[in-house]
Amino acid sequence: MAFVLTLLGAALACGLELLEAVAIVLAVALTRRPRDALLGAFAAVVACAVLGAALGPVLVANVALAPLRLVVGVALLLFGLEWLRKGVLRLAGRRARSSSFREFVEEQEALEAIALPAAGRPDWAGRVIAFKGVLLEGVEVILIVTALAARPGGLTPALAGAGAAAVATVGLGFLLHRPLRRLPETELKYVVGLVLTSFGTFFTAEGLDVHWPLGDAALLVLAGGWLIISQLMALRLAASPGEPEPARS
Amino acid sequence: MIGLLRAVRKLVLGETVVLPAGIAAAVAGAGVLRAVAGAGGWWEHAGGAVLAGLLVIALAVALRPRR
Repeated sequence: MAFVLTLLGAALACGLELLEAVAIVLAVALTRRPRDALLGAFAAVVACAVLGAALGPVLVANVALAPLRLVVGVALLLFGLEWLRKGVLRLAGRRARSSSFREFVEEQEALEAIALPAAGRPDWAGRVIAFKGVLLEGVEVILIVTALAARPGGLTPALAGAGAAAVATVGLGFLLHRPLRRLPETELKYVVGLVLTSFGTFFTAEGLDVHWPLGDAALLVLAGGWLIISQLMALRLAASPGEPEPARS
Repeated sequence: MIGLLRAVRKLVLGETVVLPAGIAAAVAGAGVLRAVAGAGGWWEHAGGAVLAGLLVIALAVALRPRR
């Protein structure tokens, strides 16, 4: 059970974050020069790989199991509940639906205002924008996957899910950008929020010496509980007066 | 540079400080309850539900509509 949920959580979180990174790199490549966009993106991937290679072993080697569960749990709660909060706001119509394609178009429009350097000179603006976009999304992926992998038995499903999602998202993003417009990103991000929040609740409680009555199966109960509660929150929010949040990713 | 720092802050804390503050309060409250309950007490079996309840309150507070 934990294996499947870890695989699902890592794959969805990684795939959706990378979809946003691919949208930024594509916008830079199509508006400016593909070579500079890819150089910026490659530098960010290297930086993320170094961070991931350093963070995982340090966490596992230097932190005892109970505090590690607490650290991992709180980290997952920080990400998961934020994704869930945004998901509830989107489902309640209080926030624009998530769309990497809209980000792609907005990024393209912003980039068109920056003049390209002469041919043969490096386009630092394009490189920096691609680097920053991939780095910020990549760091979130590294933190989530590291947190999911840090649990005993979590390494294989977390890496397998993240790896498969990375290959699929980057490949499909570049080859088949238009079909990706039809992805229900809002609903998928909401599911990631549910999965990460369930894991976060589970690990944080274990770190505080709780013994879950059903073992790993308690994860399913937690996911069901968070699903019902967040849906009720979305319904209540949709029915109450208040200002919508400004459109953000 | 300022844009990058803002993005890093958003990455770590999210878009609102209310939620991370609520999570910190929920975990701290759960820690206090565990200490009060002592080893092998009710906390071991019911602590998960208590923590989940505190986290639900944190999410509900972070979702309060703007007036």
